[in-house]
Amino acid sequence: MKKEMDVDDHKLELPDLEAKYSTSITKGLVGAVAAERLLRDGPNELRPPRGTPECVKFGRQLAGGLQCLMWVAAAICLIAYGVQEGQGDRGSADNLYLAIALIAVVVVTGCFGYYQEFKSTNIIASFKNLVPQQATVIREGDKLQINANELVVGDLVEIKGGDRVPADIRIISAQGCKVDNSSLTGESEPQTRSPECTHDSPLETRNIAFFSTMCLEAGPHPDTQASPAGTATGLVINTGDRTIIGRIASLASGVENEKTPIAIEIEHFVDIIAGLAIFFGATFFVVAMVIGYPFLRAMVFFMAIVVAYVPEGLLATVTVCLSLTAKRLARKNCVVKNLEAVETLGSTSVICSDKTGTLTQNRMTVAHLWFDNQIHTADTTEDQSGQSFDQSSETWTLLSRVVTLCNRAQFKAGQENIPVAKREVIGDASETALLKFAEVTVGTVSEARGRFPKVAELPFNSTNKFQLSVHAAGDRQLLVLKGAPERVLERCSTVMIKGQELPLDAQWREAFEGAYADLGGRGERVLGFCARWLPAGTVAAGTDPEALPEVAVGLCFAGLVAMIDPPRATVPRAVLKCRTAGIRVIMVTGDHPITAKAIAAAVGIISEGSETPEDVAARLRVPLEQVDPRQARARVVTGAELAGMEPGVLEGILRAHPEMVFARTSPQQKLVIVESCQRLGAIVAVTGDGVNDSPALKRADIGVAMGIAGSDAAKNAADMILLDDNFASIVTGVEQGRLIFDNLKKSIAYTLTKNIPELTPYLIYITASVPLPLGCITILFIELCTDIFPSVSLAYERAESDIMHLKPRNPRRDRLVNEPLAAYSYFQIGAIQSFAGFTDYFVAMAQEGWWPLLCLGLRPRWEDTHEQELQDSYGQQWTFEQRRYQQYTCYTVFFISIEMCQIADVLIRKTRRLSLLQQGLFRNHILVIAIVFQVSIGCFLCYCPGMPNIFNFMPIRFQWWFVPMPFGLLILIYDEIRKLGVRRHPGSWWDRELYY
Amino acid sequence: MTKEAKKPFRQSVAEWRQFVYNPDSGEFLGRTAKSWGLILLFYLVFYGFLAALFTFTMWVMLQTLSSDIPKYRDRISSPGLMISPKPDTALEFYFNKSDANSYAQYVSTLKKFLESYDDSKQSENINCTPGKVFDQNDVADKKACRFNLSELGQCSGKEDKTFGYSKGTPCVLVKMNRIIGLKPEGEPYIQCTSKEQGMVEINYFPPGGSIDLMYFPYYGKSLHAHYLQPLVAVQLAINSNSTNEEIAIECKILGSPNLKNEDDRDKFLGRIAFKVQMTE
Repeated sequence: MKKEMDVDDHKLELPDLEAKYSTSITKGLVGAVAAERLLRDGPNELRPPRGTPECVKFGRQLAGGLQCLMWVAAAICLIAYGVQEGQGDRGSADNLYLAIALIAVVVVTGCFGYYQEFKSTNIIASFKNLVPQQATVIREGDKLQINANELVVGDLVEIKGGDRVPADIRIISAQGCKVDNSSLTGESEPQTRSPECTHDSPLETRNIAFFSTMCLEAGPHPDTQASPAGTATGLVINTGDRTIIGRIASLASGVENEKTPIAIEIEHFVDIIAGLAIFFGATFFVVAMVIGYPFLRAMVFFMAIVVAYVPEGLLATVTVCLSLTAKRLARKNCVVKNLEAVETLGSTSVICSDKTGTLTQNRMTVAHLWFDNQIHTADTTEDQSGQSFDQSSETWTLLSRVVTLCNRAQFKAGQENIPVAKREVIGDASETALLKFAEVTVGTVSEARGRFPKVAELPFNSTNKFQLSVHAAGDRQLLVLKGAPERVLERCSTVMIKGQELPLDAQWREAFEGAYADLGGRGERVLGFCARWLPAGTVAAGTDPEALPEVAVGLCFAGLVAMIDPPRATVPRAVLKCRTAGIRVIMVTGDHPITAKAIAAAVGIISEGSETPEDVAARLRVPLEQVDPRQARARVVTGAELAGMEPGVLEGILRAHPEMVFARTSPQQKLVIVESCQRLGAIVAVTGDGVNDSPALKRADIGVAMGIAGSDAAKNAADMILLDDNFASIVTGVEQGRLIFDNLKKSIAYTLTKNIPELTPYLIYITASVPLPLGCITILFIELCTDIFPSVSLAYERAESDIMHLKPRNPRRDRLVNEPLAAYSYFQIGAIQSFAGFTDYFVAMAQEGWWPLLCLGLRPRWEDTHEQELQDSYGQQWTFEQRRYQQYTCYTVFFISIEMCQIADVLIRKTRRLSLLQQGLFRNHILVIAIVFQVSIGCFLCYCPGMPNIFNFMPIRFQWWFVPMPFGLLILIYDEIRKLGVRRHPGSWWDRELYY
Repeated sequence: MTKEAKKPFRQSVAEWRQFVYNPDSGEFLGRTAKSWGLILLFYLVFYGFLAALFTFTMWVMLQTLSSDIPKYRDRISSPGLMISPKPDTALEFYFNKSDANSYAQYVSTLKKFLESYDDSKQSENINCTPGKVFDQNDVADKKACRFNLSELGQCSGKEDKTFGYSKGTPCVLVKMNRIIGLKPEGEPYIQCTSKEQGMVEINYFPPGGSIDLMYFPYYGKSLHAHYLQPLVAVQLAINSNSTNEEIAIECKILGSPNLKNEDDRDKFLGRIAFKVQMTE
C-alpha cells in the first residue's frame, strides 16, 4: 500500500501517448468512445469514502468496553432471574429490573453519544462544496463545456487560470501555466506546467497536472501582444479514484483507526473491574457453599455480586464528561468528531504539524528588503500591527516605485473598504504579495500606476526569469525590471545607495551576493529590482515585447525584496506552550527544506541556538559525515533521504534529535513518520489540511484538520477540526484534554467508591444472614439518579496545578484507573462508607425493635412469607408486610448513609494532591449545585408519598440522616491527612500507595 | 494494518506466571513480601480502627436504647392476626376426622400452645377488671392478667382432647400480635365468615369472639414477662354435607376503630384467611 505512484505517462512521447489512450492530441476523443469509457471507468469524481452506515455508528456506541461489561452484567441478571423464577422464588423480579436498567443505560448513553457525534458530523458536512465543476473538453475537434465528472481517460481538455484541474492530465501545450499543488504536496509555491518531462517522479515532473489542484490566474493582459498566459491543453490520463489524489484519499480509508487512548484506558479499567468482580463473586460463592446454601442459590449470589460490581452510572458519567469538554472545545473552535478524541489531545506527546496554512498564514508576504546595503524587516503580521522600517531613504523611493509599477497583479474591484491584507487579488502569489506590500507602505497603487501609464511590457517567463515594463513619466520614460536577482544584476551597471547612483563594482557585488544568500538562507523567495530613466520616446507604444530586453541594460540596481509565507502570529507562543507541556512539535511538509527550516526556526520548532548537523559541519568546517549527531539538536530530513533509509533508522533519528523537520515528503512518508513516532511509544497528533495529509491524519492517534483551508478528504480522515485553522487552538485542546483526564480520574474514583457500600450489604446478608440492608432498586437510584450529577460536576473542577507545565502522561505508566485509585476508593473510602451504612442500618433496626445480635441469622425467618408473628427484641410480633416496610426503611437509611458519605466523597475528589482549602471548597459552583441536587433528590425519594410501594423508599426518621455524618467527616479528615502525606513526602511509601 | 499481532497464548500464560510469582524480584502478585507485609499491616490498622469505631458507635447506640420499650414503633401501629395451630404450608387445614394421625400435629400444637395458659403457669397473674384497659404505667412491677382456659369452652382441650377434630368441629385459636403500648378502642371482637354460605357453623369462645380490653396494653417482654395474649377460639362445625369440600374462612377483628383490618397490602393486618378441608 505504501509504494509510490507508478505513472510513466510523463515520460512517453506524444505519439506513444496517443496510441496508449487511442485518442488524438488535436481532435480529442470520439463521443461514442468517450461514452463507452465513461461507462467502463465510472464518473470522474472521488468516490466519497464509504461513510460508516448510521446503524454501524450507533452500534459502535453500544459496543465500547464499559458497554460490553454492562451487556454481560445484564445477561447475568437475566440468567439469575431465570434461575430464581425456576425455583419459584418470590421477589426475584429485582434481577429483571436490574437487567432492564442496565440495558436502558447502555442504550440511552449510546443514543446520547450518537447524537453528539451526529451533531459534530453535521458541522463538518456543512463545509462541503456542492457546486458541480465544469471542464472544457475537445471531442471530435469541437470544444465543449461538460461537467467534469463526465471526463474519461484520453479526453483532451483545456485549462485556464482560475480553473481547478479536472483530472490527472498530461500537459501537451501550455502558456505560462502555473498550478498550485498545495492541496497535494503542501507546497504553496506555484509551479510551472509545461509539456517537457523534467523529472522521473510523476509528482515532480512539470508535464503532469493533478486532479483538484488549482491552475493559477495570471495577471491581467492589458495589451494583447503578450501571449495569453495561464492556459494549457492536456490529455486526461487518470480519472476519479485512479488519480493521484484519489489514490491518496483511498490510502487514507485503508488506514485503520487506532483505538483512542481513553478507550484503551477504559478497557484496562474494565479489566480491573471484571477481575475484582469475579474474584469477589467466586470468594463468596465458596463462602456460601461452605455456609451450606444450595448450589443454585450460591450461584445466584455469585451472579448478584458480579453485577453489583458493575458501576452502572460510570458509562453515563464518562460520556457526559467527555461531551461537556467537547462542547467547551467547540466554543474554542475545536470541533470533535469522536467524543473520545477529546482526551487524546491531552495525552499527545508528539504533534506532527503541516506547515502551510497551519503554522503559516498561507499567503506570500514581503518579509525583508535589502537596499542601501542593509536588510530591512517588513511587517508580516496578519493585521499589520508590527513595526515598519525606515522609509526615508531615496533608494526606497525608487525601489517602491519599481515594486509598484513592475507588477501585473491588481485588486479586484470594489474592495476599498476591506483591509489590504484581506483583499482579493488577480495575479500570482509573489505579485500579490508585492502589490499588497506596495499598497500598505506606499499608498494607493492604482493611483501611482495612473501617473506612470504603461507603454510596453514583457511578462515573466522561465527563460528570461525577469519581467520588465516601460512607463511614461512626463518627459521621460521609466524602465522597471524585476526578476531572479542574479539575472537582474547582470543587467545593472550601477547601484543606488542612499539616493546616490554608484558604480556597481566588485565590493557592491559582494554585498549583493551576501544579502542574497542571507535572505535565500532564510527560506525566502528573493526578487531583484532595478530601473532606468530613459528619454521620452525611447520605447514606442506597441513595441514588440521581445525587443525590450535590448533596452534593458545598464540599469540601476534598487534592491532586493524577499518574500515568505510567514508564520501565524499565534504559532510561536503555541509552540512554546507545547514545549513547556512536554510535547514535541515536528514539522512535516511537502515544501522545500530551506523554507521549512526557516519557518521551523521562526515558530520555534527549531529553537534558538539549535543546530542541524549541517550547521555543525559548517561551524566546525568538517565534512557532514564526521559530525556527531548528538551535537545537533535539530535535524532537517527530506523525503529523498527518507526514501533511502533502512527501516528503524528513522526511529533512531527521531530519538537522537529532539527538533525535527521533514521536508519534501510524500503522503506515504508522512504515514511512515507518524508510525515511527507511534512505535517509539508516542501518542501522535497530526495536523493537516491537504488531501496529502489525510492518510497520516487517519493513522494518527488524533488527526486534526483545518476547517477553513482543509480539504474534505482531510476533514473526513480527521478526528478533530479546527474551525479557525489556528495551531494555537490545538494547545487549548491539549489543555482541555489533560484537564478532562484528571477530572475523569476523579469522577471515576467518586463513582467507584460507592460500589463497596452497595456490595457489602449483600455480602453481609449472605454471610451473617441479616435482613437485607440495601435493595437493588435503591442501588440503581444511587447509581443512575442521585450520584450522576455530582460525578459529572467534577468535570468542571479546575486544574490542581499548571497542567501545561507537566509532561504528557506516559500511556504505559499513568493509567486512568490505577491500583492505588481502585484500592483507595474500594478498600478505604468505600469501607468507611460501608461502616457508615451499617451503623445507620443497625441503629434504625435497633430503634425499631430489632437489636443487632438478634438480626444476625434472622434472615430465613425474616424472609419467611408465612411467618406473620415474628418476635422482635421486645416481644412484639410483626407480620411479614410490617417487616418488609422495616426492610425498606433499612434500604432508605442505607441509601441516605451512602449519600451523606458521597457528599464527603465528592468534596475529597475535588483534589488528588492539594488540600481542599487550597482548591477552594465552593469554587466549583456546579459541584455545590450538584450536592444540593443530590440532597433534594434524597429528600424527595424519602418523603414523597407513594414511594414505599413504588421504589421501596420509606419516610425515615430525621435523626437517621445524622448517623452517617461523623463518617463523612472522617472521610474528609482522612483524605486531608492522605493528601498532606502525599504533598509532604513525595516518593514515600505513603505517596506510592495512596496517591492515585 | 494491526500494529502488533495478538500475543501468543503461551506468552500471556508466561506473563501471568510471572505476575503470580516473579522469582527474580521475589514478587508475589506484583508485590514483594515486605511490600505485602506493609500494605497488610496498613489495612489491619485501618480496618481495626474502623471496626473499633463501629463497635464503639454500636455500644453508644445500645446505651441509648431502653431494654424495656423500643424507641419507635413506626411500622407496627396496628397488630396482625394469627391462628394456632398453624399448618406448615399455606394456611390450609387438611384432616380426616376418623384418622387421628391426620390431625395429631394440630392437636399437639394446640396443646403445646395452651400449656402456657395452664392455671399452674398463671399463678402470678392477677384477675383484672374485665372491659377496662389495664393501665400500669406508674407501676414498676407490671402484672399480667389471668386468661382462664375455661373461657375457651369446648376448645380449651379439657373436655375434648382432640379439640373437636375428631368430631368434625375443629378448633382454631385466633390471636392478635403483641404490640407494646397498644390500647384497642371500643369493644374488639373476632368475627369469622365463610365465603360459602351454610357449609360451616362458627362458634366463638369466649362468646361473641370478644377480646377483653383488660389484656392491654402490653409492656414488652422484659417488664411483662408473664403476659398472655387474649385468645379467641373459633370452632368450626362443618356441615356433614360439606365434608371433602374446601372451606375458605376469613377472620377479622371488628369493633375497634384503631385496629386496622382492611389494609390493601398486608393481608394479615387485623385479619386472617385460612382454609379447612375435612374428609371422613
